[in-house]
Amino acid sequence: MSNVWLVARREIAVRGRTKGFLIGLLVSALLVVALAFIPKLLGGNDSYTVGVVGAGSAGFETAVKPLAEAEQAEVAFRKLPDEAAARAALADGDLDAAVLDGTKLLADGEVSQQLGLFLQSAHRALQTEERLRAAGLDPGKVTEAMRVPPLTEVSVSTVAGDAGVRAGIATLIVLVLFFLLISSVTSVAMGVVEEKGSRIVELLLTSIRPWQLLGGKIIGLGALGLVNLLVVIVAGLGASLVTGLATDLPPGITGIAISAVIWFLLGYAFFSAMAAAFGALVSRQEDVSSVLTPMTTLLMATYLVAFYAVTDPSGSVARTLSLIPPFSSMVMPVRMAVGEVQLWEIALAGGLMIVAVVLVLLAGARIYQRAVLRTGARVRLSDVMR
Amino acid sequence: MLEAQALHKRYGDTEALRGVSLTVRPGEMFGFVGANGAGKTTTMRIVMGVLEADSGELSWQGQPLTYETRRGFGYMPEERGLYQKMKVAEQVDYFGRLHGMSRPAAKSATDELVERLGLTERRDDTVDSLSLGNQQRVQLAVALVHRPTVLILDEPFSGLDPIAVDALAEALAERCAAGVPVIFSSHQLELVDRLCDSVGIISAGRMVAGGPVEEVRAREGRRLLKVVVRDATPGWADGLPGEVSTENGRHVLLAPDGDDQAILRAAVQAGTVEHFGWQQPTLTEIFREAVA
Repeated sequence: MSNVWLVARREIAVRGRTKGFLIGLLVSALLVVALAFIPKLLGGNDSYTVGVVGAGSAGFETAVKPLAEAEQAEVAFRKLPDEAAARAALADGDLDAAVLDGTKLLADGEVSQQLGLFLQSAHRALQTEERLRAAGLDPGKVTEAMRVPPLTEVSVSTVAGDAGVRAGIATLIVLVLFFLLISSVTSVAMGVVEEKGSRIVELLLTSIRPWQLLGGKIIGLGALGLVNLLVVIVAGLGASLVTGLATDLPPGITGIAISAVIWFLLGYAFFSAMAAAFGALVSRQEDVSSVLTPMTTLLMATYLVAFYAVTDPSGSVARTLSLIPPFSSMVMPVRMAVGEVQLWEIALAGGLMIVAVVLVLLAGARIYQRAVLRTGARVRLSDVMR
Repeated sequence: MLEAQALHKRYGDTEALRGVSLTVRPGEMFGFVGANGAGKTTTMRIVMGVLEADSGELSWQGQPLTYETRRGFGYMPEERGLYQKMKVAEQVDYFGRLHGMSRPAAKSATDELVERLGLTERRDDTVDSLSLGNQQRVQLAVALVHRPTVLILDEPFSGLDPIAVDALAEALAERCAAGVPVIFSSHQLELVDRLCDSVGIISAGRMVAGGPVEEVRAREGRRLLKVVVRDATPGWADGLPGEVSTENGRHVLLAPDGDDQAILRAAVQAGTVEHFGWQQPTLTEIFREAVA
């Protein structure tokens, strides 16, 4: 076992300091941070400044405040002397909107949907109140009557939080898992071919067993993939805390992240064993991508199915494939992020995936062991399977 | 003692080895010579367990070779293999650890070898930045780091400059003196002649000659009597065995056999004898004859 550890440590030390790995780490972290900022940039802006002109606009501030608070938005009001000043401030972009004498709403173009809703609701409430008073009703009773509690939102399933946000997180999980899987798994294959092509494997296999070399390589490169995944998760969660997006994240996001990590490890074990077996068949780096085609096709199919599952997480296709390895490695975390999944489904999917991983590891180690010392022309799979 | 008995190996239709046997005693340096494709590399790979023989026996100290025994061997494959992106000392140390050395033992062995092989200044450079000669030194360090019980080196001298050859030869002689059997293959027969205690000549998968160098020489080689005569009377050697050629106005007689005293008398009568003596055949000559 200490040999496995030695090999793993070498992979981590050598691969971990290459430019490729460090750049990948940085780029993936930056991409996720950028994703967390996008809602804020795309009109996800939820702090507004509204200009108020004329006496009739006085009640707006008190009327808008509870509305804005309910949506976690901020609306600031600024008093302006006249319409000309309001127009100038709008044109300069200092204001998002201006209310004129309680009758007109000025904006540079169209008022943002959310702010428009706040202002129109406030306006309606104010006008209603005024008209009821004008009709001779007791002002105190009018105020009392106007104080309507908002509808309480109740989810009918255990799923809580915005469905859109959940779908977004699921999409992100699919993307991150796919790119991390394909890059980690390809480096396993490249590493195998590097050792085979340079014949260093001859030297290595006179001091350690093939399974130790293979196991160490898979563990070492997997650890680096895991580090990358954790960096992505920490960067994503950190950035969403900074941007305030975190308040929109559904409860149980920690669970979603943990399950993504576990499914990444299972998927990685499955695909990396395949990659090592296929990689061992060739001796030149140029042949790696062609020999890996069956594996990359399977991984691509898993990716596409998982994408489809984001759009229809409770459909029978997603439900079925979330149980079948290796599709489950990406479909199941998507389903867990988007909606409700029964515990037995998770247990069954996990169990089947672990069985598949063990089988692929055994077959992969066998093929690797038989093919890795046969340098020269590409080894046929049928020759080493017998 | 390392022994291989009747190794056979077939690749498809080609019979690479047809009963190769060899014996190397502790402290013996064994030179393995043969033409390209004769079976040297195949034999060495089989001894190292990288390749499996179709039949034949391998033993070390009288016990069949196992994976564990081989772990103690040092090996330099024909196709050099190093991690190009790994630093020199880091790499040597790594192989020491893989052979089961403890961390401090691997470290001190690495430091010693790096120094001995003149790589101190390059110890923190990656292998791909080294010259070919220096890469070869690293390769040797990797083979030596765990203080191997047996050394098996495939063409260790190829591509080295004379100074590097001397350094390598010295390192091997030192291991040999410590009682380690050393097997190496080479095309440089003078080198084998100079360094080795015993040789094995392999041709088309068969050992055609082998044993201690002197015995092989006595058994396989034809010694030649060489006589150099100045101002010789033409035709003096007619009737004597051998052939006469002319070099710088001197007659040179090379005789494979015969009565040396009679030849000497004839030479003295013919002119001034500048040289008279038996010549040992070189390994190259033996090799040419053996594989012919």
